[in-house]
Amino acid sequence: MRRTTGLAAVSAAALLITGCGGGGPQSSADSKLTDDKIVLGVLNDQSGVYSELSGRNSVKAVEMAIADFKAKHGASVITDNISVESADHQNKPDIANNRAAELYDRRSADVIFDVPTSSAALKVADVAKAKQKLYFNITGATTELTGKACNKYTFHYAYDTYMLANGTGRTVTEQGAKNWYIVYPDYAFGQDMERSFSAAVQQAGGTIVGKDPTPFPNDNFSTFLLKAPTLDPKPDVLGTMQAGADLVNLVKQYNEFKLREKGVGLSVGLMFLTDIHSLTPAALAGTTYTDAWYWNFDQRNREFADRFQQVTGTRPTFAHAANYSAALQYLEAVQAVGTDDADQVVAHLEGKTIDDVFLRNGKIRAEDHRVIHDAYLAEVKPAAEVTEEWDYVKILKTIPAEQAFASPSADCTM
Amino acid sequence: MSGFLQHTFNGLVGGAFYALLALGLAVIFGMLRVVNFAHGAFYMLGAFGAYVLLTEVGVPFWGALVIVPAALGLLGMALERAFIHRLTRLDPLYNFLFTFGLTLILQDLVRSRYGVQSSPYTTPAGLQGSVDFGLFTFPTYRVFVLGFAILACLGVWWLLTHTRIGMVVRAATERPELTRAFGIDVGRWVTPVFGFGIALAGAAGVLAAPMRAVNPLMGADLIIVVFAVVVIGGLGSIFGSVAAGFGIGLIQAWGEAYLSETAPILAQTLVFIVMAVVLLWRPAGLFGREEAPA
Amino acid sequence: MTSTVDTSSSPAATVPSGLATVARAPRWLRYALLAVGLAVALWLPNGLYPAVAVDILCWALFAVAIDLLLGFTGLMSFGHAAFWGTSAYATGLVAIHAGVPFPVAVLAGALVAAVLAVPLGYLAVKRTGIYFAMVTLAFAQMIYYIANKWGSLTGGENGLQSVPRELFGLDLRDEYYFYYAALPIVLLGLAAAWRIVNSPFGRVLVGIRDNPARARALGYPVHRYKLTAFVLSAFLAGLGGGLFVMGHRFVSLDALHWTTSGKAVIVVVLGGIGTLWGGVLGAAILVRLEDWLSYSGFETIGLVTGGIFVLVVLLFRRGIWGSVAALAQRWRASRRR
Repeated sequence: MRRTTGLAAVSAAALLITGCGGGGPQSSADSKLTDDKIVLGVLNDQSGVYSELSGRNSVKAVEMAIADFKAKHGASVITDNISVESADHQNKPDIANNRAAELYDRRSADVIFDVPTSSAALKVADVAKAKQKLYFNITGATTELTGKACNKYTFHYAYDTYMLANGTGRTVTEQGAKNWYIVYPDYAFGQDMERSFSAAVQQAGGTIVGKDPTPFPNDNFSTFLLKAPTLDPKPDVLGTMQAGADLVNLVKQYNEFKLREKGVGLSVGLMFLTDIHSLTPAALAGTTYTDAWYWNFDQRNREFADRFQQVTGTRPTFAHAANYSAALQYLEAVQAVGTDDADQVVAHLEGKTIDDVFLRNGKIRAEDHRVIHDAYLAEVKPAAEVTEEWDYVKILKTIPAEQAFASPSADCTM
Repeated sequence: MSGFLQHTFNGLVGGAFYALLALGLAVIFGMLRVVNFAHGAFYMLGAFGAYVLLTEVGVPFWGALVIVPAALGLLGMALERAFIHRLTRLDPLYNFLFTFGLTLILQDLVRSRYGVQSSPYTTPAGLQGSVDFGLFTFPTYRVFVLGFAILACLGVWWLLTHTRIGMVVRAATERPELTRAFGIDVGRWVTPVFGFGIALAGAAGVLAAPMRAVNPLMGADLIIVVFAVVVIGGLGSIFGSVAAGFGIGLIQAWGEAYLSETAPILAQTLVFIVMAVVLLWRPAGLFGREEAPA
Repeated sequence: MTSTVDTSSSPAATVPSGLATVARAPRWLRYALLAVGLAVALWLPNGLYPAVAVDILCWALFAVAIDLLLGFTGLMSFGHAAFWGTSAYATGLVAIHAGVPFPVAVLAGALVAAVLAVPLGYLAVKRTGIYFAMVTLAFAQMIYYIANKWGSLTGGENGLQSVPRELFGLDLRDEYYFYYAALPIVLLGLAAAWRIVNSPFGRVLVGIRDNPARARALGYPVHRYKLTAFVLSAFLAGLGGGLFVMGHRFVSLDALHWTTSGKAVIVVVLGGIGTLWGGVLGAAILVRLEDWLSYSGFETIGLVTGGIFVLVVLLFRRGIWGSVAALAQRWRASRRR
């Protein structure tokens, strides 16, 4: 924009607005492989809150999957022409909507991976259904993807709110923490988490001593932290359903008010490796949470993590591993059925049992397309035990796949 | 009773941040008739300043509490000279819009450099314990924050009442037409006062770093609450802004403590409800005078 | 409270009204511009990804609604996302639960936004200038909190999904066809805005903007006029928000966030305050630019939108439409000489 040359600006604007190819509905002819190639789309947050958790490194994870797939099948590979298209949805569902449609229509993506942020995740499920193309959601947390919003072309891969809340609430209670004080952000995610969490605690024989909704977003949790030790009976654990920056605020203030010293432990509903990194393990030592995958769990994971680090310079989160796994399993399915025809690939995947670096005891449920697998109860190590960057937790317990996820919802009709 | 006292004290600590930010907004508004949308962004820069000084230069909290506000004050003065100055003769809305654009830029610059994940910052070594007040104990750091904010407000009050520059600022803020009519030269104080207001926001940011999440958006939602605070107090009144800051902190703490279980929606929107009531009852704010039509 | 009024400081008064300039333009030019505008509107989804074209329509209406307040009443609302978003939710809920043709749902949504604007406007118009901006911003934030909390109705952060798009059994699933179904509503909205501005009511608004004390002295109930303008503006913003839901077939909390309010004001300033049609241009540019940026791999989107905003405010306060109108006026003046 220059000072007075409005006309120049207008013509530039006209160019900008029209600088895009023709429109109208399009269709493509059927063949063994559409356009003789496979295009994997990755739609995620590349600049916002989820960019470190997943973001561009998930695109690289998908590229790793392609390389491994080609290496495995050598000359018998279905096609050499496999590419990745990625786009940034900025966590905005309206942008996700346009991007997803464009990926499927214009960039001939056969499948879309990742898509964090519940509203965007659900929107893309809608697009996948309309376009009749595959969609593996990795980083969306909402159980609606396999509930009301489930459809034939959508698979929910890594985790969901039920897995997180149930895993932590149940396992920690079973391990001896009976009295709970729960704080949750007062919006749908927090309300869902609180319901699943409280139910899990009570089923395992625990008691909810108190629970409070907190504003969202919120940078001051002191009222609730003051209240926690004064409850009667005194809670053993503060269960927090906060996420992201709210979680960081809460943990900082939890330490400030010295609740651990006052005998109130901390258990977190939703926490990622990147959260521990930014809070420092020292601030979280002893905190328990449920993880979908951990890079230093066993030798197999560690080997993947080492290769991942060579490509990206950092350790993988569960989201990176899950994107890798989903891309690999999609390609294997296409190889197996010999076509990228969506309906045939879906039919092949439904009910399939899988074991790979991410999915342990994995199974793709045919009823609701929930991909179930083992989950893990993790505890943040004390600072003294952290000897390697990113190796912040120890796994206390493996939660078996069948227990980790809710049974198929009655709301889901394919 | 000790519970109530504890929540009250806690409310004052929360209010301390509102008060420091509202005070900066009020003195800037007083001198320049500018509502600085970027105030929240400068608060964020203050927290990041502390983080950068600690991790990249090794300067601890105490050093940051001096250096960061001073540096941000200078940055504010430069911005005032370079840009804001050009717009002050126009409708105040233009500076509101300018500082809104500035907010987007500052947030995005910090985000592209440090990411959206919160950056770690721990409580300074000397302030990690708790203070025992007899009826209740409270984290030492929070007591320090409250003390700092009260001292800062008292210091500003002393400046306003005992120095020439203070009287000019007060006159310009509370009786703008009269000040101009008396031919008092306000112009030469404009830039330093703008810098001073920004420095206060920066100090609030440094204070926030050990107890809140340090990330590029930490000031974004806060500034809207602070706007409500100054509407309640009356932006034309420096005292009113500070009083409303502490008052809203108290009301929020009480609301969260006693209404969260019964009426969470009320507890979470109290500040806006108070603002609506004040607009009905005293549109110019609790301590404000009827504004000159702008 | 009496005081002298500095008329030159009103944001709309600092720029020569582009609308006035166009209105003074020869009749053939006005019709030509109208014809070109309609032609572009009809062609748009052929040159652009249709979903983006629909977004442009919605934002154009939103921008015009804000300019009605900002440019012609002198009130800058920094909280119009409250009306855009409320209508979006109301439209979505009506469409989901009542199954009515989509224009009916959109109209219902806009009416809900207008009803909400009555109490909020009643409180907000008690303040003017910068205070008005702050008050509207704060109220919009309150609406955001409530919608976020009220997950059972709004779907919380999941948003309302799978909003049906129905019009007498026509298949509108394709964005390309939906664009043409939505276009008449947008044109009606724009025409209404034009009619309001060029009515006696609109002239009183401009009078209030330029000199509220005089308008009051002449016996006009200033508050009531402002409130009416506020409600009308909320209705138009609601039309845009309702169509936006229909375009995306879902609505999320973003629609209520203060960044949406801010973006709408950017669009107006970019197009030209007080020009009415400038907002349409501004919407086209910003929506297209954001779409392009999110594909370009360029990560600092806030830097670009913020930068554009700062530059426009500092150097280019007339906006695009205002600048072109001023240029055209100068050119014609020089020819006449």
